Amino acid sequence: MIQIAMPVVLAMLAIAFTTAIQRIARTDATWPRRAPFLGGGLPETHAWQRFHVRYYPMALLFIAFEMEMMFMYPWAVVYVETGVKALAEMGMFLGILSIGILYGWREGVFRWQ
Amino acid sequence: MSWLSTLAHDAEIAVFAAVGQHGLGLTETLGRQRGVRLVSSPRHARVLLVAGEVESAQARALERLHAQIPPPRGTVWWQAPRLFERGETVIGDDPGEAIRRAAGADDPEQRPDVPPHPWRGMGPHGQGGHGMMGGNPYGRPMAMTADDIRDGLTLDAYSARFGPFLPALPPGLVLDLTMQGDVIVSAAAASPPYPQGPEGDAPTLCAARMLRLMGIGPRAAHARGALMALPKGSGMRRRLAAWLRGETVTESPAPPPNALPGREWAEAVLWLASFPPSRLRAVCPEEAA
Repeated sequence: MIQIAMPVVLAMLAIAFTTAIQRIARTDATWPRRAPFLGGGLPETHAWQRFHVRYYPMALLFIAFEMEMMFMYPWAVVYVETGVKALAEMGMFLGILSIGILYGWREGVFRWQ
Repeated sequence: MSWLSTLAHDAEIAVFAAVGQHGLGLTETLGRQRGVRLVSSPRHARVLLVAGEVESAQARALERLHAQIPPPRGTVWWQAPRLFERGETVIGDDPGEAIRRAAGADDPEQRPDVPPHPWRGMGPHGQGGHGMMGGNPYGRPMAMTADDIRDGLTLDAYSARFGPFLPALPPGLVLDLTMQGDVIVSAAAASPPYPQGPEGDAPTLCAARMLRLMGIGPRAAHARGALMALPKGSGMRRRLAAWLRGETVTESPAPPPNALPGREWAEAVLWLASFPPSRLRAVCPEEAA
């Protein structure tokens, strides 16, 4: 019994959900009201477009600093017993990350606005 | 009258002001009137107020604004000849009564309920087109990539006509802008701002308009932070400071087609507002595109 009832109930729920979404999403706005408000003007191109997310370099900078800290904690634990080798490894690691920070600097992520 | 309609009657009336010639001073006095609230988009308005004469070339733009106000809506022509047969005309200095009457009106549609640009496909029924974009949906091309003027990334450019009744721009100014994100890539002035007379250049009104764009209340205007909120360079801080001191600004801007590209939208709007309307009008070409 339940093997028949469950799919039926699920199907009915799906239909109810679809109908509800259709009712909610339906608009009675006229065509002029659906146009974007540009003070009386009209757009010449569609609004669907790609543009640059300008916080992207800032996100890169965050990752650069965050990675640094993430590896420096465990490094600090083993630093005393490993010695100069650990220092050299961390130096190389920080050197590589600094390139990222310098790149971010060039892209202007330090100019706070 | 039910208690609900009594309450509704006492509510503030949301008015969208389409400012015409010599209408800027008129509209500023309206903001102080009780029971009337100026809104910055027709979507939130109940009444379309045309303050000052609008030339018939802009009638279509005005009709679009009227059609963008959700029904029920009313229209008031304040010291302006009617460009379409809706609403009533007010000759005097106080449109308060007419606005209240218009708030009870229900204008019929002014624009036909058809797409502004009909679909133009390649097929016999207007369907289909070339490539991924599928032709020109609703008669407008999809935004296509162009070089970004900041860093050369090829990103989509959006072209549109802004104005003449966009509250962020000086009234009457029509700009054909191409933008990438919020940066203006190219600009052309299709029509200059309307003449506003000497009252349009009054320091208090100019300062009030600029502060409103910045979202700063009049009481906070004299705080140091108000000027710091403006971008450095291009003299915006100097001009707003002069207006706040009550001095008239006599600087002339560079023509918008030269000065706007490279600026962000918010900065461009403030830059335009930082010049007296008469000076801005003087540098914009007279002929309409």
